[in-house]
Amino acid sequence: MNLVFHDIIPYIPLLVSGLGTSLMITVICMLAGTVLGLFVALAKSSKITPLRYFGNTYIEIFRNTPLIVQLYLLYFGMGQLGLDISPLWSALIGITINNAAYTAEIFRAGLSSVPKGLYEAGSALGMNAAQTFRHVILPPAFRTAFPALTNQLVLLFLFSSVASIISLEELTYQVMNIETQTSRTLEITLIATVLYYGCSSIFVYLSNALARKVFKW
Amino acid sequence: MTQDFGWIHLVPLLNGAWLTIQLCFFSLLIGGAIGIIVGLGAASKNKLANVLSSIYIRLVRGVPLLMIIFLIYFALPMLHIGINFSKGFSAVTALSIYAGAYLGEIVRGGIQSVPKGQFEAADALGMTTIQKFRHVIIPQAMKFIIPPGIGFFIALIKDSSLVSIIGYIDLTKAGKVVSSLTFNPIASFLAVAAVYFVLCFGLSKASYYYEKRFLRST
Repeated sequence: MNLVFHDIIPYIPLLVSGLGTSLMITVICMLAGTVLGLFVALAKSSKITPLRYFGNTYIEIFRNTPLIVQLYLLYFGMGQLGLDISPLWSALIGITINNAAYTAEIFRAGLSSVPKGLYEAGSALGMNAAQTFRHVILPPAFRTAFPALTNQLVLLFLFSSVASIISLEELTYQVMNIETQTSRTLEITLIATVLYYGCSSIFVYLSNALARKVFKW
Repeated sequence: MTQDFGWIHLVPLLNGAWLTIQLCFFSLLIGGAIGIIVGLGAASKNKLANVLSSIYIRLVRGVPLLMIIFLIYFALPMLHIGINFSKGFSAVTALSIYAGAYLGEIVRGGIQSVPKGQFEAADALGMTTIQKFRHVIIPQAMKFIIPPGIGFFIALIKDSSLVSIIGYIDLTKAGKVVSSLTFNPIASFLAVAAVYFVLCFGLSKASYYYEKRFLRST
């Protein structure tokens, strides 16, 4: 066996742009999914029955079906309805919706870990419900949820490779593309593996550094 | 020639679902065995076992499942050392390697959740390492291993959908075939999603009652 890497050199720009797309959808879907997930978590723990029902159904549906099927449904389903949706938008929307179901469960666990006395303390200080939530409940809940969110970010990055099946030109798509053109299957798969591993390690490192900086109290 | 989506198309979907279940079952068995070995290694004081297990867990958990599948199905035959797995065998191998790392991490966490005093107590009673694990540590660690283990199995059912990309006719691939046969992706993939939902949701509800019944009491 001999590894020949120089055939791949001309394709480095493709790899870089693929990695860029992967990182971009990871960051956007994580941010959007976290915000959406927070609302779904609030809906699930709400006292209003229809809202709670909605939150619960949302989480169960998206956590119990594979991302790949959700993406197929969004991408090909929209096409069937006559709406042309680009692979990029399908991936952004599909992964965000999927990710929100997971972050919602993480936030729900975080919110339920906050002692009840803090709600009472908030209202004792004359804060309204929104102020109590924003200034008293959210910070400790977020700190509890943070390690699980970091974990979710890495999983999201790894599963963004699934977007290649709806022909979004991210890292895995470019890998298959280069593989077809050069037939250097082993080499290009190894390079991609190293890139994915390196980036997910960097994500873990940065998240830990951020946690140390933000959660000093 | 196109066909209208109908009940007849549930047959290939259910065939695919059966293959998905088999795939996950065998991957859980092999992955579980890997997970126990690697988990014990990562929790042990033996330097070599610890380092090797930790590297395995970190490496596999840092790489997409899709890449593991590609490495085994497309890249391994390129080594020209006589490895050329069928689609089904590649799928089971990739999912087992994947499951081994995640289950290994769960096992490690479970063992390390057992209070240190229990290890010392077993040593003080003059137990051998095997006796210590068999009678003292494992029974207590199971409480921390079973619930996330079932959770991972549910995730594995969903993650196994990725083997459809190398052409293994699992539930997702069957859905893809039905979709191109009927030109009705919405109905096809909704049916696929419904089957996954029944499998995963049913399993998670079952595990919830199991935990309530058997694990709370200990």
